[in-house]
Amino acid sequence: MTFLLLCFEFAKIGLFSFGGGYATLPFLYHMSEVYNWFSLNELSQMLAISSITPGPVGLNVATFAGFKTAGILGSLCATMSIMLPSFVFVVIVSKMLKKFKDSPVLNSVMYVLRPVAAALLAAVAFRLFFESVVKFNTFSDFAFKNVDYKALLLFIVLLIVSLKVKKDPLLYLAFGAIAGILLHFGHIFA
Amino acid sequence: MKIKLSELFLVCVRIGALLLGGGYVIVPLLVNEFSEKRNWLTREEIIDFYAMGQCIPGIIAPNTIMLAGYKLRGKTGAFCALLGLTLAPFVAILALASFVGILLKSVIMNDIFWGVNVAIIILIILTVKEVWSVSIVDKATFLLFLIAFLACIFGVSPAIIIIIAIIWGFLRIKFIKGEQK
Repeated sequence: MTFLLLCFEFAKIGLFSFGGGYATLPFLYHMSEVYNWFSLNELSQMLAISSITPGPVGLNVATFAGFKTAGILGSLCATMSIMLPSFVFVVIVSKMLKKFKDSPVLNSVMYVLRPVAAALLAAVAFRLFFESVVKFNTFSDFAFKNVDYKALLLFIVLLIVSLKVKKDPLLYLAFGAIAGILLHFGHIFA
Repeated sequence: MKIKLSELFLVCVRIGALLLGGGYVIVPLLVNEFSEKRNWLTREEIIDFYAMGQCIPGIIAPNTIMLAGYKLRGKTGAFCALLGLTLAPFVAILALASFVGILLKSVIMNDIFWGVNVAIIILIILTVKEVWSVSIVDKATFLLFLIAFLACIFGVSPAIIIIIAIIWGFLRIKFIKGEQK
């Protein structure tokens, strides 16, 4: 019975959450209130772990919540259920794309959609830059002492490197990870 | 030439393992693996899938990779891509579920993610630079970019921005046709 309910609840999240991985959160908070599967405190722990392990946060939290509720089988149920609605939609949308390929309407939609998608990505970069490097949330609380100068330095170095050479994304991530440890060298002894 | 399902699966496993710090990293990873290394798809197609992935319910990264998988090998391809993408994160969560507490207290883990977060910003900037040339082709598309960027910065939900863009795409073609008559 728990499994069925688990599948149903996660399929519901998959169907109704739009946008980034964090769009699934309101549903999970609701879930922690209605069922005794996990507490609010456990949910925030799951969220922290989910955001530092590979994979989209929304999917990771589902795997984790499923595990907390009913073990490995539970996490399998939750992960599959949350993706099921998307899979159905992907098939429908792809079929439509094939049918309307080269139609002027689709071309027109894509002409508008491409710069918009690029802008949404740019906005993510912009927001991340201000959140994790400059630590600047509103105009009123801007202060130079809040700027993470080490992060700014790493950012500039990586930006210059990226302009000169085109490398595998993995190398940037690895470089960032190593720089993270080296620039906070004191932490190892603390 | 038909793409092998096993190869598609393995590439998606790799992407899943590298997908750190938010779903949008899927774009640079897909461009690198599907376009630059293998020539399976073009950059334009990938950015199209990313745009559509946001209007389909669910989580963006799996949506995007399923659309790409479908384009390559139909339904089986989409399923294969999804399985591949989920594998590494799934195993990682199960492995870590037992020592949640210890991990959260680890300072070194936080330092690593501090650095990875900065690298992610660079990856996204590089992607925007790459898709810029195929998406911003004239003044109108530049204006669209600017409006969408500002709307997103000021907190309009991405799903709403994309839906408005789709409607505008439909209306626009009607206007052009009307003028030609």
